[in-house]
Amino acid sequence: MNSSALAWVVNPALPIVLPLLAAFLLGPVTRVSAFVGRLLGPLTLAICVWLIGELWLAHGGEPFAVAIGTFAAPLGIVLYVDRIALLFAAAVPIFALLFWPWEVSGERATRESALLLILVASATGLALSGDIFNIYVFYELVAVASFGLAASNATGQAYVATIRYLLQSATGSLLALIGIAILYLKTGTLTLAHLAELAPSTLHDPLGLAAFALLLIGFGVKAEMFPVNTWVPEVYATAPARVSALLAGLVSKLAVLVVVRLLVLVFNQPEASQLLLVLGALGMISGELSAWRARDFSRMLAFSSIGQLGMVFIAFALPGEIGVLAGLAVALHHLVLKSGLFALAARWGGSMEALAGLGRRSPLAGAIYVLFALSMIGVPPLPGFWAKLVVLVALAQQGPLELAAMGAILVVTAIEANYLFRLAVVLYRKGGAAAVPASGVPAPALGAGLVAPLLCLTLLAATVAIVPVTEGLRSVARQTVDVAGYVRTVFPSAQPPLARKEWP
Amino acid sequence: MIPFSLETILYTCAIGMVVIGVFGLVLSNHLLRMVLALSVAEAGGNLLVVLAGYRGGAIAPIIGYAAPGTLMVDPVPQALVLTSIVIGVGVEALAVAILIRVYRAYGSLDLRLLVERMQGDMAKAAGIPRTTSTHAPAGERPLPPIPVGARHQPDAVGHLAPEVQS
Repeated sequence: MNSSALAWVVNPALPIVLPLLAAFLLGPVTRVSAFVGRLLGPLTLAICVWLIGELWLAHGGEPFAVAIGTFAAPLGIVLYVDRIALLFAAAVPIFALLFWPWEVSGERATRESALLLILVASATGLALSGDIFNIYVFYELVAVASFGLAASNATGQAYVATIRYLLQSATGSLLALIGIAILYLKTGTLTLAHLAELAPSTLHDPLGLAAFALLLIGFGVKAEMFPVNTWVPEVYATAPARVSALLAGLVSKLAVLVVVRLLVLVFNQPEASQLLLVLGALGMISGELSAWRARDFSRMLAFSSIGQLGMVFIAFALPGEIGVLAGLAVALHHLVLKSGLFALAARWGGSMEALAGLGRRSPLAGAIYVLFALSMIGVPPLPGFWAKLVVLVALAQQGPLELAAMGAILVVTAIEANYLFRLAVVLYRKGGAAAVPASGVPAPALGAGLVAPLLCLTLLAATVAIVPVTEGLRSVARQTVDVAGYVRTVFPSAQPPLARKEWP
Repeated sequence: MIPFSLETILYTCAIGMVVIGVFGLVLSNHLLRMVLALSVAEAGGNLLVVLAGYRGGAIAPIIGYAAPGTLMVDPVPQALVLTSIVIGVGVEALAVAILIRVYRAYGSLDLRLLVERMQGDMAKAAGIPRTTSTHAPAGERPLPPIPVGARHQPDAVGHLAPEVQS
């Protein structure tokens, strides 16, 4: 790294601000020149990817905090940049580019692109923000953008699914807001670092646990957590497949990241972890059983997504570095895999019986599906096996509740294998009618057909490079659980800010 | 003499509004009522946030308004609640906008009816039979049977309802 690269440091607010600016410029620019309008969104996203890469290189993955508008924490808002934040922030524009609405045109393209850019901006903010109320605001922005995207097929069923999703999401946000109010009432601060410092003395009691439960339910709506995930199958079945891919793959992971931040920094107590573990196990069992009953591809994916996220929650509920490592492995695996499967679903609408013989007509798609299925079940050389192995080994070292969760994972894996192979058998059956595209969805463009192979290659690359990937994730996990480091980064001076009781 | 302090009464009101709102959301079947219940609950939540900065006997936090050293309420929650009110209004406006589209597509705002129709349309779009129980429910049917062909006209904006599209 030369000195000029050190001198020019990217402000971490840029990957949030640029897509937001582009989203609002998109309408006027498209009116002047349609060509520039079409180019503006992908170009902005590419710049965001580069900026985040630059952020990582300039600091070598070391954490740093930036106060917005130079108002210092705890009164101002900080952006906290560390490896886990950059990892998820980088995934946002990359996956938005992969699932960019290339195939739609005209007014609808402008609207959808603008919504997607708002989603990118706020999701990046969700990953980088170090202030709980700021996170709430970004979360609401993500929610509003995703309502628009979920309804973008403009059919009656999509509207009904969206309004049910909206009501559930708004109720969840309200509960999260009440949780934030309790946090403020008890501590007098909203900065995560300050909360981390005050939590042991103020929040480790029933009221603090209630605040965690409220926040968990609130952020759990997007993370497809157990009691608040009834919107998932409806929205994924009625929205375009690329929107489902983004919601299932990307947005759910960012909500999980928020929960993990809260759990590690603020609610580092066994009761909170147990709550997460139980809800995760219930979600996993109910999701996989429903997926087993599903009869069309997109709803099967939706239910299995609920199940997989249940396992992500179980992993993150484990204490310490191993829990974060296991959770990251499962979450990233699910991010790549589910996005790839939804990319296939763009062409594989309709009932699963209608897909008979598809594997013989398009061998590449069939092969990709089988590979994804094998990795999802956890067949040895593939990354899914290592992710599951880390979770199971970590669970086996804990108490009886964790052992029960381990048993549940093993049972659920058998169910998973059953329904995934059932479809694989159908795919390679002889004969069958031509594939039926999902109705109401424009046929995917050539670019969209490249997404699944690309993600498949990512999966294979991770299989080959499993050792460096694991080491990388381990360093991310180590940095994430370093609470003292987080506080030190946000408040570099030796004297910590005052607690509420000590106010003049 | 009132046996409660002002703070207790305010907290009771705020939490009561949230409870009323959530009950309304859970118990009502009409979409507009659900949106209204949501706004009641949000008002309660916002009140709770303002209360987080409340101090008994304090004055409004305006610099130069009172002598230095006077007890003021915490201004941070008041700044926060402005944001959350704006967010709430935005989400409710979006909800009402989608509600209008729902009404144009299906001609009803009764949630049970809408979910019934949505499930039917989803099954039809996927080309699979509805997964309903083969046993007839005991007693009265909860919903009247949906008349065939009574819906699916293109709405004013030109969007076609799903039957026409497929």
